[in-house]
Amino acid sequence: MPILETRGLVKRYGASVTALAGLDLSLEPGIIGLVGANGAGKSTLIKILLGLVDSTEGSAAVLGYDVATDGTTLRQYVGYMPEHDCLPGDVSATEFVAHMAQINGLPRSAARERTAETLRHVGLFEERYREIRGYSTGMKQRVKLAQALVHDPRVLFLDEPTNGLDPAGRDEMLDLVSRTGTEFGISIIMASHLLGEIERVCEHLVVIDGGHLMRSGPIGEFTANTGTLAVEVDGDAGALEHRLNKVGLTAVREGRLVLVALEADTAYDHIRDACDDLSLGLVRIERRRQNLEDIFRPAGLNEEPASAAI
Amino acid sequence: MQPSEARAGSIYDLGYRNYDGLRLGRRHAITSLYWYTLRSAFGIGRRASSKIMPFAIVIIAFIPAIGQLAIAAIVSNVEVYTPSNYFAYIEVPVALFCAAIAPEICGRDMRQRTLSLYFSRALHRRDYVLAKLAAFATALLFLTLLPQVVLVMGNGLASSDLWGYVQDNWAELPRTAASGALIAVMAACVCLAIASQTPRRAYATIAVVAWFLITWPIAGILVTEIGGAGRLAVFISPFEFMHGTTLWIFNISPATDTTMDVADYPLWVYFLTSLAYASGSFAYLVRRFDRIAA
Repeated sequence: MPILETRGLVKRYGASVTALAGLDLSLEPGIIGLVGANGAGKSTLIKILLGLVDSTEGSAAVLGYDVATDGTTLRQYVGYMPEHDCLPGDVSATEFVAHMAQINGLPRSAARERTAETLRHVGLFEERYREIRGYSTGMKQRVKLAQALVHDPRVLFLDEPTNGLDPAGRDEMLDLVSRTGTEFGISIIMASHLLGEIERVCEHLVVIDGGHLMRSGPIGEFTANTGTLAVEVDGDAGALEHRLNKVGLTAVREGRLVLVALEADTAYDHIRDACDDLSLGLVRIERRRQNLEDIFRPAGLNEEPASAAI
Repeated sequence: MQPSEARAGSIYDLGYRNYDGLRLGRRHAITSLYWYTLRSAFGIGRRASSKIMPFAIVIIAFIPAIGQLAIAAIVSNVEVYTPSNYFAYIEVPVALFCAAIAPEICGRDMRQRTLSLYFSRALHRRDYVLAKLAAFATALLFLTLLPQVVLVMGNGLASSDLWGYVQDNWAELPRTAASGALIAVMAACVCLAIASQTPRRAYATIAVVAWFLITWPIAGILVTEIGGAGRLAVFISPFEFMHGTTLWIFNISPATDTTMDVADYPLWVYFLTSLAYASGSFAYLVRRFDRIAA
């Protein structure tokens, strides 16, 4: 069963701003990355799914519950970690997370028990009785994650979960997100601007642009091999480019690299022979992989001058 | 690496257990928010400095009751403070309590943007308003009702004939309860409506203080000095119409030459005014939190 389905989801703010323009989505359980530029509609989508704002048209269901009609039941089974600060400074992490557990419907004793476990899980066990105002940004991010996890949700919405973390904290948080999704059976919908993080953690990617679904698929589809070889040589790359074009290959320079269209396996032989003839040191030849950044690159920059194949 | 050598903030992999127990739903969410707010109104679960102001004001509100008990223990049949005139002594502590606590009840969640966490749970926006309002009104009962309960019980125990005292004052008990509850609910509704205008505590505190303290002399001047249509100003001062409500509940006339006496309106009008303020403020609060961004 899909964990998330939307049909013709539209959200307009006033007459002029359309945040979502007929979004159709169907997502299976897993760790799903939600990417898009600022104003693409990611936050609006999450807010509609959480019942924080109403859609203008269309329908959405999470875990089979319609967000408009079964929202109260649904929200017992979802967790939400917002991007912005949302923590009171004058209470301890234990006090706040236990309170949020009870707001999520857990009885008091279970809330206390789950709070201790969850704070330990996110790495705040030693500091849990300190006031939140004294925490570092990274520790606050962990409290935000703990309050989203404490009631054992089936779906977790994470909005920029690594915001403000140092590189080590970022790695730990991404590992935690990954483990939460893969080992604990909790589906995750993670919005992030950092494509490297999405690539590292997510199994499925949803790209939204201008309120429309731009693309949705397994992460592998976005990073598949291309039909281009990247050749790095120790020497005059321009001479190599010229030589390869002369023998009938399509080659183009990109900085220190020469990009060659892989139209036949003989291309490898031509490159080897050209390097030998020009006395160039061959540093590496590799099949170029598509990069998530390519999705967001302006169209002009993606157009490659020599050949559409490159 | 030994555990003691692990750097602060490391994430430990100690396992994760799924939760298969009860999920008590929306009603439990409302009662949880109610208790959490009530505790926070008195600074419970927070640092010691958060407790000073609310507890100090509550103690001030108890001083007349305790004074009366001390008098009753020494001299019988002398009642300086009674439930019917108690509000006149606690109206300033009530105003101070509202000014200190109302901005914290809603303003803290607005300021710290915790509303998005509440509204993404089983809790509805109107449930939030209801829980916050009920908690604040309950906190106000510690000033408007509890001292009077202590007063009645103390006077009864200090009297030579307890059963006779109960028989003589039986009719006062529901009036005491009604007066205390009505003042608490009315003050809670209006003060939360005012405080919900801004997440900034200082502005909200000033606005609540202004509603209590600035309207009071204005009403006094307009009623006593101008008269005529100026008498209507008695309804802008919460001290006046709340006091008028308690007088109506206890069926007592206002003292001579007071603002209420000069305004010369029937006392039931003050009761209706209190109801109108409470219901209008409640409707406004619901509308405010229906629309507030989370």
